[in-house]
Amino acid sequence: MINITGLSKSYNKGSVKAVDNLNMHINHGEIFGFLGPNGAGKTTTIKMMIGLLNPDSGSIIINGHDIQKNPLDAKRSIGYVPDNPDVYDRLTGIEYLNFMADVYEVPADIRKERIKYFLDIFNLSDAASDLIKSYSHGMKQKIVITGALIHDPAVWILDEPMVGLDPKSAHLLKELMRKHCDKGNTVFFSTHVLEVAEKLCDRIGIIHKGKLIAVGTMDELRQGDSAGSLENIFLELTEK
Amino acid sequence: MKKIFTLLKINLNLNFGISALKYRFTREKKKRWEPVLVVLGIIAGVCSMTALYSLMMLGVFNTGLALNQPEIVLTVAFLFGQLMVLIFGIFYVMSMLFFANDLNILVPLPLKPYEVLGSKLAVVMVNEYMTLLPVLLPPVIIYGVGMKQHFFYWVKAIALVLVSPVIPLILDAIFLLVIMRFINVRKNKDLFAILGGIIGILFAVGINVITQRMPKGNEEEFIRNLLLGNIELIELIGSKFPPSIWVTRALSQAGISGVLYLLLFIAVSAFMFVVLMWLANRIFYKGLLAGQEVSRKRKKLTTNEADRQFSRVTSPVVTIFWREWKIIVRTPIYLLNGLSGIIVAPMIIVVMLVSQKSGDMKELFELINQPGAQMVLTLIAIGVVLFTAGMNLVASTAVSREGRTFWISKIIPVSPKQQVMGKFLNSFSVALLGVIIMSVVMAILLELPVIRFIVIVVIGAACSVATTALNLLIDVLRPKLVWNNPQEAMKQNMNGLLGMLISFAIMAILTAAAVPMAVAKLPEWIIYGTVLLICVALSVLSLLGLFAVAEKSYHKLEM
Repeated sequence: MINITGLSKSYNKGSVKAVDNLNMHINHGEIFGFLGPNGAGKTTTIKMMIGLLNPDSGSIIINGHDIQKNPLDAKRSIGYVPDNPDVYDRLTGIEYLNFMADVYEVPADIRKERIKYFLDIFNLSDAASDLIKSYSHGMKQKIVITGALIHDPAVWILDEPMVGLDPKSAHLLKELMRKHCDKGNTVFFSTHVLEVAEKLCDRIGIIHKGKLIAVGTMDELRQGDSAGSLENIFLELTEK
Repeated sequence: MKKIFTLLKINLNLNFGISALKYRFTREKKKRWEPVLVVLGIIAGVCSMTALYSLMMLGVFNTGLALNQPEIVLTVAFLFGQLMVLIFGIFYVMSMLFFANDLNILVPLPLKPYEVLGSKLAVVMVNEYMTLLPVLLPPVIIYGVGMKQHFFYWVKAIALVLVSPVIPLILDAIFLLVIMRFINVRKNKDLFAILGGIIGILFAVGINVITQRMPKGNEEEFIRNLLLGNIELIELIGSKFPPSIWVTRALSQAGISGVLYLLLFIAVSAFMFVVLMWLANRIFYKGLLAGQEVSRKRKKLTTNEADRQFSRVTSPVVTIFWREWKIIVRTPIYLLNGLSGIIVAPMIIVVMLVSQKSGDMKELFELINQPGAQMVLTLIAIGVVLFTAGMNLVASTAVSREGRTFWISKIIPVSPKQQVMGKFLNSFSVALLGVIIMSVVMAILLELPVIRFIVIVVIGAACSVATTALNLLIDVLRPKLVWNNPQEAMKQNMNGLLGMLISFAIMAILTAAAVPMAVAKLPEWIIYGTVLLICVALSVLSLLGLFAVAEKSYHKLEM
């Protein structure tokens, strides 16, 4: 469960409002797609949700914990995948995953099982003992996803997670997201691929110039215009 | 040609960070003092080094004058300068031509290979002037003033100094272009970085040995002997590398023959440039692209291995400690700058003491055997140990080194206090290693008994706690997280300099406490006890300060 109330953030001493009084509630068991044009405030919002940026005002509750007041408990509930997989180039894949398992305090038997599972499905077992700097963009993305999910967090926050993934891995990730939510957990992700959002998400939010301009299920967004695709809705809303 | 100038402009901009500086001066007004301080530091450093070097060159000139060969000073300087460019240029040219990050952007552009190579090489050349000018200008001025040369000499001199790095750099570039066709140097990038670093360190140690050997007050005589003993060697090297001889003749011979040598030098440089451009068009991209493939072991993890790897569960602090060690050891720049002090400083001390004339050593050992000397030697040893520990950059760049990966530290459920603890333990372990190695070296050289060795190690370790904590504190407060190259995180980081200043300030406090007590002939244990007490007090205070600011500072840092 994610609860965002009155969230604002501005840059350059208040002259640029990146996020403007944002209110969102994402329920248990829900995949929430976060859409918006470039520079709309998606990444800024996500970065505030996980504690990379400090909001000017407002609150973010992740799984019952306020990220500002109780950051460690909130962070334990989050699995975060950034839009750019910048990880420790000079560690091997295994070392990185073990590091993440250590900081999330995952017991040996569970980490063994989970690491093996992810390496296997992502086809990374052969590369796991190589330095990450020898990985391709997609491989780095997959190792970051594995590291983010190693502690089986209740809330997944993913910033454009499909970028760089091959079709098989992207498909796998989508399946994992669905399964995770079916168990009553929450997935919040941003994307530019509207078809993915349309098919995968239970609800969608569209942010434009820092403000949430639409939120709801596909049906609610269509509002009677049954033929409207998400692309049409998106273009219409963001061209205003 | 227009494209070359466009490329050159953008490369020089990137090289000197001109746009970044402009941004800093107009937007980040608080940080304006940083570049100013760096420039002042560089000027001070170059001036102090140039002063000594100029004196040496004056000695060479006077010796040459006595032998009726005053121009020898020019040969020595140009030979030295051009050889320096030739040797260090190899690594520099290689990193510019084959390892630079922007090559991936430049290669797909509709540019000829020679345009890319030419602009890159020009940047190297501009950078080489920074090291060449202090080497070439003093002797050129000494000779010009000493021989009362006229206007035309100075015109020729300016032209020759400007053209001087061309031939060695082109030789480097041609050598690398050919070699890259056959060997995948890119695969061994780290190896080359370490090799370059080691050659640099050896060079520094070599200079140190020469300056150490120079008898104080008799520098001129020493240089005369050195020069007389090596004159054949200089001529031999000169004959193998004739450009330096041409420069000498161009400058020292008046009239038409001087001009002819000048033209010869410029013509050969130009010819080699054309050859290089021709070669670049043919093989530069081939060698570059052949090096693009990254090698991977692709070794499948066996079940046993996997079990062993995954069952190593450690606490967050310990896992951060080891992460730091792994990254330092595997990144050549960190390894060289972080750990080299631990190995190089003791080496320099050993070389300094051993290369002293035997008479000096005898005096030293007579001193050792004098009553009361042991205390002085112990205090000196402590000073040397602390100095080495203070030069260490590991703590003062501990957060900066994370760079773009700092987001991981922000999202993990480990409190900043714990993270800083892991970093502190890591930096302290490096410092402690340095303290122990240096203490062993000092104890052996000064023939100190075991108990004194222990005193040195204990005080060294206690003081290192304070210096490490304070160095780390600086980096926690103002880390440099935006960089493209690990070198920027380590060497072009103000925090390293600030950290050293703090370490030296602590040493000054300890010296101010110890010296009056030693002069007053207080019992030794009181002196050591007081110094240790101050170290412990400083350590406790700095650690408390460090942990107090960690939480707030990490919270403030945004990615």
